[in-house]
This record gives sequence, structure tokens and C-alpha cells, in this order.
Amino acid sequence: MTWLGNVGTHLLACVAACALALPAMAAEPGVTDNEIVIGMFAPLSGPLIAYGIQPVNAARMIYDDVNAHGGIAGRRVRVVVEDDKCTGSSLVAAIKKLVTIDHVFLLHGGSCTAALAAAREFVTREHVPLVMLNAAGDSLVFPPQREFFGSFQSTQRVYGAALAEFAAGPLKAKRVAVIVHDDDYGKSNLASVTATTERLGGKVVAVERIPPSITDVTAPLLNIRAARPDVIISGAYPAPAVLIAQKYAEYRMTATPLLQSTQGIPTPSVFAKNVGDDTALVNFYHTWAFNDIAEPAVHDRWYGMYRAAHPEDPDPGGFMVTGIPSALAIVATLRRLGCDVTRDGFVAAMDGLDLQTDLMAAPLRFGPDRHDALRGVRVVRFDGRTQTVQPGVYSWNGQDGN
Amino acid sequence: MLMLKLLQAAASGVVTGCIYAMIALSVVIIYKATEIVNFAGGELVMVGAWLGLLLVGYFGLPRPVMLLAVPVVLFVLGAAFDRLALGRIARRRPSRRLEHATLVVATIGLSNLLKGAVRGIPYTQEVRRLPPLIGGAPIFVGDVVLERQDLAIVALAAVVMLALWAFFRYTLPGKALRATSQNARAAALVGIPVAGMRMSVWGLAASLSGLAGVMLAPKLLLTPDMGDVVTLAFAAAIIGGFTSLPGCVVGGAILGIMQNLVGTFIAPQAIAVTPFFVIMLVLLLRPQGLFGDTVGVRRV
Repeated sequence: MTWLGNVGTHLLACVAACALALPAMAAEPGVTDNEIVIGMFAPLSGPLIAYGIQPVNAARMIYDDVNAHGGIAGRRVRVVVEDDKCTGSSLVAAIKKLVTIDHVFLLHGGSCTAALAAAREFVTREHVPLVMLNAAGDSLVFPPQREFFGSFQSTQRVYGAALAEFAAGPLKAKRVAVIVHDDDYGKSNLASVTATTERLGGKVVAVERIPPSITDVTAPLLNIRAARPDVIISGAYPAPAVLIAQKYAEYRMTATPLLQSTQGIPTPSVFAKNVGDDTALVNFYHTWAFNDIAEPAVHDRWYGMYRAAHPEDPDPGGFMVTGIPSALAIVATLRRLGCDVTRDGFVAAMDGLDLQTDLMAAPLRFGPDRHDALRGVRVVRFDGRTQTVQPGVYSWNGQDGN
Repeated sequence: MLMLKLLQAAASGVVTGCIYAMIALSVVIIYKATEIVNFAGGELVMVGAWLGLLLVGYFGLPRPVMLLAVPVVLFVLGAAFDRLALGRIARRRPSRRLEHATLVVATIGLSNLLKGAVRGIPYTQEVRRLPPLIGGAPIFVGDVVLERQDLAIVALAAVVMLALWAFFRYTLPGKALRATSQNARAAALVGIPVAGMRMSVWGLAASLSGLAGVMLAPKLLLTPDMGDVVTLAFAAAIIGGFTSLPGCVVGGAILGIMQNLVGTFIAPQAIAVTPFFVIMLVLLLRPQGLFGDTVGVRRV
């Protein structure tokens, strides 16, 4: 019996109760006697496709499993998927189509915070609950907005705080250099690193803000080298993260630990191959919100489930799991609603979510004043071949850099 | 320390500048020969890079073979585009002015086609890297670090540029290409096959782009969007003068060095705006670029 298995025991009672309640319910978009329609959107094409296809497949795997076990209160979950390309215009077009043509009950998607921000006005006006797939979503959850729930693999504030705490703790670093992008992501990451470092008695000695499209990281690495930090914390995206690691090795800075936020290293083996020099990774750490690296049983369970659900994709990357927690949260919330499924009810129920799963490093929690789900992550040492999870979970206190 | 930063930034800037220059050359060659700005230049770079990775990483071919194969394949691709798309469009032109606009749009079409085709390959979903042309420990000149890979890039770029110069100056096909670009009608009158020459120009430019991609890929990594680097090549071409081949080389070097100096001594955020600032400066002070033909107006 899976974690969903106990549904069967209550199914008949629930269906009977719903049958009595249905005539009294007002017609809710995307909800019928037999199904609940969820509108998913993610980058299924374009440069950020890696953040979309497998996470969407993973989320669908959860919904398929729900359906295989009788659905939710007798209703099957039906998913309509659109490609948002991680651009604002495509994303808005996708969700408008999902809401106005497909009449979905709720929106589940988004891998890019900046693109999601473009949907703010429409979602707020239509009062459609939007549960983010795997976007960090800092600008949409700080301050919390009624319809938006997200940050299931944590926010940049959490990554920044976790790495700063790890630097000050086990690494005993006092002088911290930070390299982030000159966008919202970088701003949040930097604010959190700075506040946490200063709270723990350290000092940020160099701050390098780089454009995401940077082609040569010579300049920022020269500046960091000149500042002589004890650690370097990077919030760079995948391509710049590789360039930084290469240049860091080239300038023989590897005695100084390099700490990278998750978004720069979606698949560690590919990252190591791209860096192409194992000496660059002798002192390399990254954040990870999941327990699949630390606990092989957890890895085998979820990856096995994915392979069974998607035999056409037998070798999923590390980002596959990022599609799971948001789907679990949606299913848990719909279960709490039972047969009385309304958008207002869903939002209220999400505000009370407190979900502990074996997959995540920390519980997924929401509240009226908190719409970022995850506030604790692990730190992993990666030498190019082996990933070694460091002891403990590093958490953001909800205040540093906020 | 200040001098070290200056020298290191300049050395690294020369390397990226060489790559910008190669891409700029491919754009300028086409512009000189056909008066068309090739907006697919970046995507040809991208295709060359992925092809290089395929040949080395999948088929296990030696790098010298890859360095020969990529330009050849790209030559065929560029020539085929001219023959199958541009040639047909030109033959059906309603007017010369419309022909130019249509041909430019066709290059945008090629750009999207190539990008879409590469994105459709599952392997390209992750950022990839072509193994360096030359490995080994870096070389130290004083405290300045020089990667062997970077030296190989500069050497290869220099060889290609010299070969290109010699080709245009001393060979019959090169002279025919120059004649075609200067006056296509006159060239046709003296027996030069203009259509064939234009096809060759497209092939040659695509080859250059492919080589630039192979040089770029170990440094800047491979993504289906890596062709966006063509913006910097346009900047290099404008700085040097859009009709000048040596200007492209100088423009590329200036741009690469400027980006690093601005990033080091002003702010890394300013790196992205540096090319556009330099373009504005050049257009204001010397609109034809550093080596471009002077724009003149003559009363008739």
C-alpha cells in the first residue's frame, strides 16, 4: 500500500457524502462530479527546458498515482499541460488559455520566477489558486499573496542563508565573497547571505553582481581573488556557474571553498563534466532541498516510481524530483477539502498545509503570513564524482535579508 | 596588484575578442558580398559547436579531424541555404528593396529553424561543454595566468584570419568574390558566375561561424541559445567598421578587452552594457567605424 493507499478504505463513504453535498455546491470551474481539472505549465521548449519536462512528468506521476488509487473523493485528477517557455509573454498566454478556455480549477506550474511575475495581475484578478511547480518565487511569496503558493525547493533567501550559515559554522569562515546575478534572484540571495553572515559575526568582503548572459568571468573572479575571502558563495545559473568554477581553478583559488546554490548545478555529473577539471571541485559544496542524495532508499523509491510511470525516460536527471513536492501539496490539500472543492476553500486549506514527506529536507508549511513552503536545505560536498551530504539541515530564520 | 588585474583582464579579453572577431568576420563577409545582414550568424556558430561536440564526444574523432569536418559541413549548410532559399527568393523578387527585406527575414527564419532543430534534441537540454582543444596546466607569465586552451584559440583565430586575408588578396576565387561584392553586374559581364560566388560566400561565412563555435564552446559552454553571442559580434563589426575585415578583428579585440576592464575596474554589472556603450560612442564620433569606408555625399 502506498502513501495514498488508505484512500480506498474511505472511498465509498466519501463518495456517498459527496453525492449528498453536490446539489448544494455552486458550479466551480474545473470541478465536476467525476473530475478536477488542473492546469499545468512549465518550460517544455526553450533554453530552460531542463527545468520543465521531467518535473512536469514527475507531477503527473503523482496525479496518475492518485487516479490509480480511486482519485480524490471519487474524482479523478485530469491535467492539461501548456508550454510557458519560461518567458513572461508565453506564460501569461498559457495560463489565460488554461483558465478561460480549459476552465481549470487551479494552476500548477512555473519554473521561472521572473516569468511568473508577469502572471500576477491576471491570477489575482481571476482569483485562481496558483501553486508553483519548482520556481523559487521570491518576488511572489515575499510578501505573501493570496493566490500564490510556492518555493517548494526553497527560496533564494533560504539558499543564501544556508550557505552563509554553513560557511560560518563547519567552515569557520569570517570573510565571505558573494557572486550573484544582477536580477531578483541574485538580490534575494545576496541580501540573505549578507544578513546571515553579519548576524554570525562574519563580513562580506566582496560582492560581484554579474549579468546572466556573461561570457567571461575574469573580472569578477579577479576582484574576488583580490579580496582574499575565506569562502566564495555563488548564486549563479548553470552556465555562469561552470565558468566560475573553471576560472576559480585557473586562478588557483581552490584552497578557498566554493559554495554554490542549487540552481547552478541541476545535474551534478553534467556540471562536473562541463567544468572538466576535478581540481576545481576539491572544495566545492552545493545546496539541495531533497533527501534523495542522503538516503538511497528515498532515491530508489521516487526514481523507481518515475521510471515505472515514464518508461520512455529511464534516466531522469536530478531536477526530476523538483516536480514532486508541489503535486504532493496539492493532493494533500484537495484531500483535506474532500468533496467540497472550491477555489476559496483550496486557498484556505493551503494556508494550513503542514506536510512532512521523506523526500524533502524540511517540512512543507504554509500559513496566512507564509506562502514559501520550504525553509530548510541540506549542503552537499561534491568532488566531481561523489556527493557527500553534510550533517544537519540548514534553515532560514524567516528574517535574514527579508 | 592593480597592474596584475589590468594585464590579466586584458589577456583574457583578447581571447574572447578573437572569438567575437571570427563571428564578426562571417557577418561582414556576407554583408560585403550581398548587402544582407545575416541574423542567423549566431545560430551557425551554435550548430558548429554542437556538431563539434557530436564528432568528438559521440563519434570519438580526433580534434584535428573535427576542426576540418565542422567547416566543411557548415560550408555545405551555408551554401545550401543560399541555393535553396535565398536564390529562389531573389529570383521571385517584386522589387530590389523588397528583396533585401525578404532575404533578411529569411536569415531570421534560418536562425529560428536551426535553434528549434537543436532544441528538439534531448541531449541539448543540459548545458554542455566541448572538451578543450588543448589541455594541460596553465602557463604563467609573471603572475598572469594563460590557459593553453586560450592560446590555442588565439593561434587558431590568427591562422584563420591570415588565411582569409591571403585568400581574398592572392587567389583567383578570392579576387572574384571581391569583384562580385564591389559590382555584381560588372563581375557578371567579365564572366564571373555571380550566383556561384554568392553561394560560396554563404558557405565561407558559415564555415567561419562553425569554426568560431568550436573555439567558443570550450570557453562559453553549449546551449541552444549560445548564438546570442552574435550581438557582440555585431558590436565588434560596428566598432571596426561594418565593411572592413581588419576592422572586425580590431573591433573584437577592443570589445573583449573593454568588457573585462569595465568589469574589473567599474562593475561586473556594466559588462552587459559595455558593447552598446562602445557602439554609441563609435556611432557618435566615427559613424563608419574605426576602419570602415567614409560615408560621402556627392552632388550630381
